Amino acid sequence: MNNLLLLIALPLITAFLLPIIDRFSPLLARLAGPLVLLATSAIGIWNWTLLGEQAVVIQIGGFLPPLGIVFYVDRMALMFAIAVSAGTLLLWPDGAKDRLRQSTLSLILAAAGSGLALSGDLFNIYVFYELTAVVSYGLVVSKSNPSAFAATIRYLIISAFGAALVLCGIALVYQATGTLNLAQLAQLAPEKLDNPQGLVAFILMLIGFGVKAELFPVNTWVPEVYATAPTRVSALLAGVVSKLALIVIVRLLVLVFHQPEAQTVMLVLGILGVATGELAAWRARDFNRMLAYSSIGQLGIMFIAFSIPGQAGVFAGLAVALHHLIVKPAMFLLAERWNGSLANLAGAARSSPIAAVLFIVLSLSLVGVPPFPGFWAKLLVLVNLAEQAQPLYYLAGVVILAGATLEASYLFRVASSFYHVDKQQPLPSAPRTRDIMLASALTAGLVASIFVMSPLAEQLEGMAAQSSDVDYYIQTVNPVVLTGGQR
Amino acid sequence: MDINLDISLMIYIAAGGLILAGSAGIVLSTHLLRIIFAIALLEAGANLLLLLASYRDGTAVPIIVDDHIPAVMADPVPQALVLTSIVIGVGVLALALGLVIRVQRTYGTLDIRELRERMAEDIADDAGIGRPVSSHAPLPVQAPGVVGADANE
Repeated sequence: MNNLLLLIALPLITAFLLPIIDRFSPLLARLAGPLVLLATSAIGIWNWTLLGEQAVVIQIGGFLPPLGIVFYVDRMALMFAIAVSAGTLLLWPDGAKDRLRQSTLSLILAAAGSGLALSGDLFNIYVFYELTAVVSYGLVVSKSNPSAFAATIRYLIISAFGAALVLCGIALVYQATGTLNLAQLAQLAPEKLDNPQGLVAFILMLIGFGVKAELFPVNTWVPEVYATAPTRVSALLAGVVSKLALIVIVRLLVLVFHQPEAQTVMLVLGILGVATGELAAWRARDFNRMLAYSSIGQLGIMFIAFSIPGQAGVFAGLAVALHHLIVKPAMFLLAERWNGSLANLAGAARSSPIAAVLFIVLSLSLVGVPPFPGFWAKLLVLVNLAEQAQPLYYLAGVVILAGATLEASYLFRVASSFYHVDKQQPLPSAPRTRDIMLASALTAGLVASIFVMSPLAEQLEGMAAQSSDVDYYIQTVNPVVLTGGQR
Repeated sequence: MDINLDISLMIYIAAGGLILAGSAGIVLSTHLLRIIFAIALLEAGANLLLLLASYRDGTAVPIIVDDHIPAVMADPVPQALVLTSIVIGVGVLALALGLVIRVQRTYGTLDIRELRERMAEDIADDAGIGRPVSSHAPLPVQAPGVVGADANE
């Protein structure tokens, strides 16, 4: 199990050695990144088979908690760590110019993302979060045209604002409890953090981490960045990084902050996110920004799902998150050549019929048409919302359904224009073969999961049960009951 | 008079003031460099807030001098956290200033409102869609020469 630390160490070392390797042998430098990510994905999958039913704790450096930093490896964390490595490998840069810089930054992103998924210490999470943020600034500015610079500096401003808010939240938490270890925080939370100070700390951390998770007030950077960044970087940000930030918030909500007001705040911000995201996507006139706003809407659905108390909420949220993790990068892969005005995409089915079919399948799943996985995920969210029997949760259900209607409208509007026959207009360019192959692999996985839906759902439910069990977390990290911090 | 309580309260107020000044600067400023400076203020305030968690009344610095261990020490953990955080802040600010230089060279302006307009126009042009025009925008003004030419005829 200890070799899970290689998920962080190997990509970091390779990233910093890459310029030196490139000096001696460009071919080796070209291969080093994908090979390392292949190795880390393999290590992650091998550990998945070893993991079994129990969660495992890795004590970094042998220092015992709560003074040492621990990595808490349960199935949800390991799944997202594998998704980070596999996703970065799948979306590996292949441009000719500044390939070295993009490879280095992608490797560091893989390392920081794995750390974010696995870490069990609050400040360690903050450090990995900042590392992800800085690397994403470098990746987003890759195109080096004026609008990229402007979009990146605006993204940096709002992200730095969020990071400072997280720091204030951590300050409040440490001031109240004297510890940063998530397990000990979970132990001390009912007496020390169940007050306005705890609620303010949660809201600060929610908005701070929510910048990356595209939460409602702080997601103004999303359309600008997704329109000016290379499409594979947008796919990485939308697909992988946003889920990692969301998982961090969910860990804090489940383990530490049990107040109902915390869930209400997440619910309200999620509802606003769905409403604004879907409406803006409906009005969008170019492909990249339509996908960006759609991503905001889907993440709003995830926030609503995770704000449902108990295991059911985590199960529903995990289902939507896993589904979005596969669908959005596939759509962004298709958008590589199709970026630009939606009006220019008329007749795309003639230049690339496979890509058109892929887009239709992905849209059907995103909207939530049975038997695709997106239907089951949204159904889970709606059923659990209805079970809560409170007006705000009913409102969330109504907003999600209205959002699904809007999604159907703007996605099928584009899909039907693919088959529009207009002899005068030139055909849009076809996506590259490599992109089509990768998108087909993802879509094939999506369709294959229809046939294994029942076992998959049981696995996810087991994952949610394990992750939402606070006592199990505390018992796994420190089997001996610890006293509280010095206060 | 409780002097120690006043000192800690004053520093809490100072940290809160720095955070407020930084946030107000980020939200209200129109010049890009002022926004960057406001980010620096905000991070300084957040670091000070984190450092205040280590304050104890009448304690010594947590350093062992000549094998003499102080009886009561202040908490050393937040001080280590703040060191990390300051370094992260310095790195991010350096990157931000590099981006500001690039923005100045390509757009020629550092006014955040003008930058937003021109960035939106550039994105729309790259995508091949028309520039976003509001239906409430004022009508274009005709050149004075045209009216004069009509009047002279």
